[in-house]
Amino acid sequence: MQRSPYRFLLIVLLLISSAYAVKVGESAPDFQATDSNGQLHTLAQYRGKFVVLEWHNNGCPYTRKHYDSGNMQRLQRDWTSKGVVWFTVISSAPGQQGFVTAQQENDYLKQMKASPSAALLDPQGDVGRLYSAKTTPHMFVINPEGVLVYDGAIDSKATTDQADIANAKNYVSQALVEAMANKPVTIPTSRPYGCSVKYAH
Amino acid sequence: MMDRFFISVLGSVVLGSVAWLISSKHVASPSPTDPNVKLELVSEQDALVPGEELVLGIRFDLQDGWHTYWMNPGDSGEAPNIEWQLPVGFRAGPIQWPYPERLATPPFADYGYEHQVLLIVPVRLPARLREGQTEKIAARVHYLICRDVCIPGQKQLALSLPVRNRAAASPARELFAATRARIPKPTPPNWKISAATMRDEFVLNLQTGESTSMLQFFPLHPEQIENAASQEMTVSPGGRRLHLKKSNHLLEPIARLQGVIVLDSERAYSVDVPVSRSSQMSTRY
Repeated sequence: MQRSPYRFLLIVLLLISSAYAVKVGESAPDFQATDSNGQLHTLAQYRGKFVVLEWHNNGCPYTRKHYDSGNMQRLQRDWTSKGVVWFTVISSAPGQQGFVTAQQENDYLKQMKASPSAALLDPQGDVGRLYSAKTTPHMFVINPEGVLVYDGAIDSKATTDQADIANAKNYVSQALVEAMANKPVTIPTSRPYGCSVKYAH
Repeated sequence: MMDRFFISVLGSVVLGSVAWLISSKHVASPSPTDPNVKLELVSEQDALVPGEELVLGIRFDLQDGWHTYWMNPGDSGEAPNIEWQLPVGFRAGPIQWPYPERLATPPFADYGYEHQVLLIVPVRLPARLREGQTEKIAARVHYLICRDVCIPGQKQLALSLPVRNRAAASPARELFAATRARIPKPTPPNWKISAATMRDEFVLNLQTGESTSMLQFFPLHPEQIENAASQEMTVSPGGRRLHLKKSNHLLEPIARLQGVIVLDSERAYSVDVPVSRSSQMSTRY
């Protein structure tokens, strides 16, 4: 019986956190997820580093635009070499497009020469829903203080055409460049474009 | 005499075959590769009248379960895009988008069309066109269709029409008429519409002088309202209020609220009103 006030408090906190929506300029909600090598990650443990979240579905034509062209791999390589933590997040539910087992994801990363810091498997969609991830890709940039500084599209050309990448403005790189120089992010939000994230119904 | 007879027979044969060619070209070939959608370029008129407006349409026929998108596709997806290839002097106007359906992709929502949609485009014709000549109108349409998965596509479409001094309705006329009923109209002059910004929502205030049991708002711009949030309608003195939850992506105040309102799921109007910052709802015409 003594525990019930705490239980009540916990329920209230849970309700508050579920109503909490991510917003640029506010602190990014902490999450916990297991990667394709079975390792557990929380956002909190990367305080002090820039973190990029990339929502991913390997069958989505918008995701494929950025992987078949090598654009996403290039971004992963360039930014992780500068100390950025890059998480590819897969929120496709079992049976839905883009759902992968840990082994399938590792094979995919190898085959595509992709090098995120880790690929987080989120088949329940918990991390996706926490961040209101809408599309694949949908990109988030979190600064070393844990504040969300970018939420939106990967770039300015909302198409499936690889030829558009060269002339597009990459919002993720721009946000990282500006935030690393302690400048305000010029474009802090944009409409993420892509396929809807294939959450469990 | 023989010559004249021969010329007139030859003339009829030529005209007949031209007519046959034209009628066969009324129907653009369906895509053999994508069985989920069929696209066709159709015309409301059966001929080109110099100096007049020609009304064209791209018709999408989608298999059950598939959809394509409105000009603002919502939380995911992409609007179709038409690249016109027109004869010299032809000028295509913008797409006249019929209002969409709200398509739930839980926990989000898209705006688009299922089953069938006609994207109407008016084309201004040049004053100088030679009667009896046939002109070819072509378009490359880029589109995205989605069900549980998404497939991008593009389709080259063409239509040939003769130049005449007057045109009759084509067989597609009824579809054009039915589609026009879904194209938003300007709001009647006696309506009072205003919008106000609150902490977490925009409130659209409508005084239409009639009772409305259902209101839907489709935003023209992405990232202003939460597409999947329910739009609560409340009764105000002399009208209705529609509560629209603000998007989390909206960091700056917006000057105007632009979109389409649909009354009782049947009449659509274009809305473009300034957003007042006072908590007092100011009404304006």
